[in-house]
Order: sequence, then C-alpha cells, then structure tokens
Amino acid sequence: MRTAILLGVVVLAGTLGEICVTHAMKRIGELKSFWPRAVLSMLGRAFRSGWVWLGVGLMALSFYAFLALLSWAPVSFVIPASALSYAVGALGAKFILREDVCATRWTGVLLVCAGVALAWAGEENATVNLRAFVPGLRWGVLLAALTPFGYYLLSIFSAWRYFRELRQRPAALPGRPEFTPPVSILKPVRGLDREAYENYSSFCRQDYPEYEILFAVSDADDPAIPVIQKLIADFSERSIRLLIGAEKLGTNSKVCKLCRLVREARYDLLVISDSDVRVSPGYLRGVAAPFRDPTVGAVTTLFRGIVERQFTSEIDCVGTSAEFTAGALVARQLEGIKFTLGATMATTRERLAEIGGFEALASHHSDDFELGNRIAAHGHRVELAAEPVWMVFPRQTLRNYLSHELRWSIGLRHIRPWGHLGLLFTHGLPWSLAAAAVAPSAAVGVAYVGAYFALRFLMAWTVGVWGLEDPVLRRKLWLLPVRDAIAALVWLVSFGSNRIQWRGMQFIIRDGILIPVGPPPAEAEAEEIVLEDPGPLVGAVDQSQIPD
Amino acid sequence: MIPSKSVATKTHVLVVLMVLFSSLGDILLSKGMTQIGEVNLASSTAIATAFLHTLTSSTIWLGIALLLVFFACYLLVLSWADYSYVMPASAVGYAFVAFLGYAVLHEVVTPLRWAGVAVICLGVLLVGRTPARTTEPS
Repeated sequence: MRTAILLGVVVLAGTLGEICVTHAMKRIGELKSFWPRAVLSMLGRAFRSGWVWLGVGLMALSFYAFLALLSWAPVSFVIPASALSYAVGALGAKFILREDVCATRWTGVLLVCAGVALAWAGEENATVNLRAFVPGLRWGVLLAALTPFGYYLLSIFSAWRYFRELRQRPAALPGRPEFTPPVSILKPVRGLDREAYENYSSFCRQDYPEYEILFAVSDADDPAIPVIQKLIADFSERSIRLLIGAEKLGTNSKVCKLCRLVREARYDLLVISDSDVRVSPGYLRGVAAPFRDPTVGAVTTLFRGIVERQFTSEIDCVGTSAEFTAGALVARQLEGIKFTLGATMATTRERLAEIGGFEALASHHSDDFELGNRIAAHGHRVELAAEPVWMVFPRQTLRNYLSHELRWSIGLRHIRPWGHLGLLFTHGLPWSLAAAAVAPSAAVGVAYVGAYFALRFLMAWTVGVWGLEDPVLRRKLWLLPVRDAIAALVWLVSFGSNRIQWRGMQFIIRDGILIPVGPPPAEAEAEEIVLEDPGPLVGAVDQSQIPD
Repeated sequence: MIPSKSVATKTHVLVVLMVLFSSLGDILLSKGMTQIGEVNLASSTAIATAFLHTLTSSTIWLGIALLLVFFACYLLVLSWADYSYVMPASAVGYAFVAFLGYAVLHEVVTPLRWAGVAVICLGVLLVGRTPARTTEPS
C-alpha cells in the first residue's frame, strides 16, 4: 500500500512538474537564436517564471519520493514501475498541454515504456547506482529538517529580547514632558467591516491633546458612510471629516484614497491605520512618542486579534500572531525593522515627501510594506510602538481565507523573492514529517516530530501568548499544526501564479505593481466609470461641517 | 503545425546534448555518493564528515554542474518542442548508459537489459518520425 502511494507520487508529481515547466517555456516562446546572449536571457526569463519553480518543486518531490521508495523496495521493481511515467506523461501532454499525440507517437511511447521496464527488470547493481543516493539524501533531509528548529529558536530569542526590553522600559521619563504634536489620523475605508462602529469610535476616544480624523471612501454609496456619519454626530467635540471619491492615480484604490487624505490633512504627523483596527485610549501617545527622536522616520505597531467563533476567523488570527509577528520580530533582530504594517503606518509629511508621497505607491500591491521600506532606505529608523493594536478578524469562508492568504503570499514573493524562497526553511511541519519518513529508526522519527511540536508551541507561546498577550492564540494554540499545514501549501502554490483576486477584481503582479487583467466584473466596472471622472467628486462632498 | 527542417535539427541536437549531460551527470553523482558510502546516522561526527566529503568532492560538484547544463538544455528545447516528443526521445539515454557501462566500465550487461535497450531504441525511432512540434506558437 505504502509502495503504491509512493509510486503514485513519483509518477504524478514528476509528470505534473514537467508539464508545468513545458507550459512555462511555451509561454516564454521559441528560442530562435543560439547566441549565448539569447540563451542566457531565455534561461533568465525561465527562472523568473512561477510555473518553472512550481515544476521544479514537483520534480524534486517526485525524485525524493523515488529515493524513499528505493530505500525499501527492490531496484528491480522500482525503476520498471516508474517507467509508467512515460505513458502518464503522454496522457498529460495530450489532455493538459493539448499536444497532438498521434498513433505513431503513442506506439513509440509505449515501446519506450516497455523497454525501460525490461532493461531494468533484472538489474540489482546498475551503472547508475541509485541506491548510493539513498543514504546521502537521507542525511541531507535529516540535516535540512533541523533548520526550521533553528528558526523557531531564533524567533523565541527575538521575541524574548523585544518584549523584555519593552517591559523594562520606564513608562515615561520623569521631568520630561510627553511628546504629543498634533496628529491627523487617516482612514481609507471600503465597505463595512465587522463591528466597524466600535473600531472607528475607539479612535475618537483617544487621550491626546490635539488630533483630527479623516475618513475616505471611493463611492458615494459605500455602506460605511452612514456609520461614519453617525460617528461624526456622536463625537461632535472631535474634528472628524469624511471625504468621498479619490482620483484614480493608480490601480491600488486604498493608496489613491491615501493620496487625497494626505492632501486634506491639517497636521504634519500622519497616522494611517486599516479600517479593521481597534485601539486603546493610549494608542496615539504610544505612536507619537518615538517621533521625539529625529532619526525615527516611521512608526508601526504589531497586532493581536479579536475573532468570531468560527474556524477560518480563528485560524487567520492564530497565523498572524504566531507566524507573521514572529517573522517581524526575527527581521527586527537581524536587520532592524525595514517595513511598516497596515495595522499602523505613522510618518511625517516630510518623510513621506522624501519618498515621493503615496503617489509613488499608487499601483503597488503591498503599499504598507513599501512605505516603511522606502523610508528606511532613506536612512531613517522605523520603530515599533509599545502597544499592539487589536485587529478584528472577520467571519469568512474557507475559500475567501485561502484566496486572501495566497494574495499575501504572492505579494510577498514579489517584494522579496529570495526571502520568500528562504521561507522554505521555516516550515517545520513538512520538514519534520519528511525527516520522520526517512528516519533510520522510529525513535529518530518521533524525535523530529516531537521536537517540532515542542519548539513550535514554545515559539507561538513566547511570541503570541507571553509577548503579544493575544487571548485568541492562548485559547486556540492547538490550531497551530493545521495553520502550519495551510501555510506550507499556500507558500508552495504562491510560486505557481502571479495572478491575484482582490476585492472582486483580477490583477497580475509584476515587480510589485498591480496590473488589472480581463474584463472586470460588473460592480467594478461601475466603480471605474465614477472614478475616471473625479472632477465633481474631489472635494465636493466634504462633510466636516455637519452642524451639531 | 508546420514542422520545418530546422526545428527538427535543433530538437535533435538538444536532445542529444540532454542525454549526454544527464547520463554523465548521473554517473558522476552516483560515483561520488558511493565514494562517501553509508553514513552512520547515530554519530554526529560521521554526519559532519559525510557532509564535508560531499562539499569537497569534485566528482559530486562536476556531476551537479552537468545536471544543471542538462536542465538548461531541457528548458530550451521545451520552448518549442512537444513534451510528448522530448520525454520519450530522451529515453535513448538508457541505451547510452548501457553502452557506456559495457564499453568503458567493462560491466556485464545482461541479455535482458540489451533486449530492453533494443525496444527503447525502436520506440525512440518511432517517436522521432513524428513532428517535433504540434502546438501553435503563441
């Protein structure tokens, strides 16, 4: 049974991998000239293609399964059986790649199949002694499977350093007034998030001397508008404005709204946060404080979750606390923070102008990452505010959750291609399972899987429960292995596509830029018509002066 | 659907290159691994030594380099030729390896294996008679 399954993996993964590679190369187009330049440029294009990487991954999986098979089944069975892949490959070529496999070619393929099976049937010791690979590959896998453990230990260390430092830092320096310059809070909004009123109103209850809140929506019929109007009425003592409509400067509609918000903001310190974020009354003080140091160019915050009692909402939250935050803290430990997170992006008008304003990011997919990254590239520090904010994770279907995770993963791959590839060595679950599969004894296998569970839970606990004090993670720590399995699959699939679904529209990401593709759905079309003629909308609907 | 003569020629050249590089790469890599031998996984020094041997073995590095060249040829040929053409055609490598084993390494090649090699060659010959490209250039 085990042999049959593994043989299936060998044949199917190998064939699918080769089909992916063929598909990629056909898309790139025929090589016409054999000058080294043309050849190298074509190979360069091939290795930038997601399909090639997906194919290589599948082939590696097939090869690995092949060696695993060799380690217990006789060579005289394994190789002849794997000759099947010639026939399966021809089927794939016919039905997936739509190649014309004529009768002559079929006969040839089947003869090759039979010939390969025949040639190896009686060979225990062939020239290419594949068994020689088995021990080498086996300890290679056992060695590589240790790297995620190293990553977990590094995460634990990074989180421990950060949160310990934070807790030892005195709340305020005696004899020194707090740093509280006037702040403009900018909130680009689209549609209604869960508990939107509670989220928005938490920003109106800030313990802070002088600040204003600006909301922006794209359409006059956005369902968030009544909620914001109620907010304006309920907190009449606060300066709250709602802007409707934004010039379409690029494909990222959130950034288009930010461009307008920045223009309309009154103050120099700009605090931007996503609409699903909720904060405590001390939030603004915490975000403004680091700007006392003139070397600080941007401030961002970590976040913890508020969830629905629903599987995808919970697993989303577990993932961000135990994985995303861990990654951010490791990055901080290794090279300092060179990014901002959508939960909070705070910067000054001056720093923003240095990187060309939000206008420079109007078509970027990961605008939050880019903002901090560009400010850091100009030699300014990016700091974490002391207190994490709350992120409200919505109830969502599994499909929506996966598509959102995939969008994230593809976006990340475009920002940091090598870093994203390096994530291979952070996926402890598949590695320890692979190690267990090839382990020389049951004890070693159990040790790997046991070490995974122990270190993974300790890491999540240190980062999320002890550090972030995330109540969801504390309750749902047991979801971690499920989340890890999903994360590994999403990571793998992210190499296969540049196409993402975002808010009902299809985009291709190229060099971090969003390029819309295909006919947009009806709803999005209507929006485009409104946005292409922003004239009467810009500045026209400004509800700041609603009478009490 | 119009396979020109030049397409056939360049496909044949690249398939031959693929076969050469992959066979030689496989042989070198497997020789290199055999030299290192079985690793005692209970001993961390044995693992470290084996790891070091792998990294410093020129046979293994040469094998890896040849396999990389093979993969590059494979990518290039697939940019125009059918997968269902290249895949069976490269099986000619089995014949090449068997011949190499017999003529150069003086191995005993069983009659069964020779029979298999003959059947493979027949199959490859048939596949070679079909046009190398059947899909439209995009």
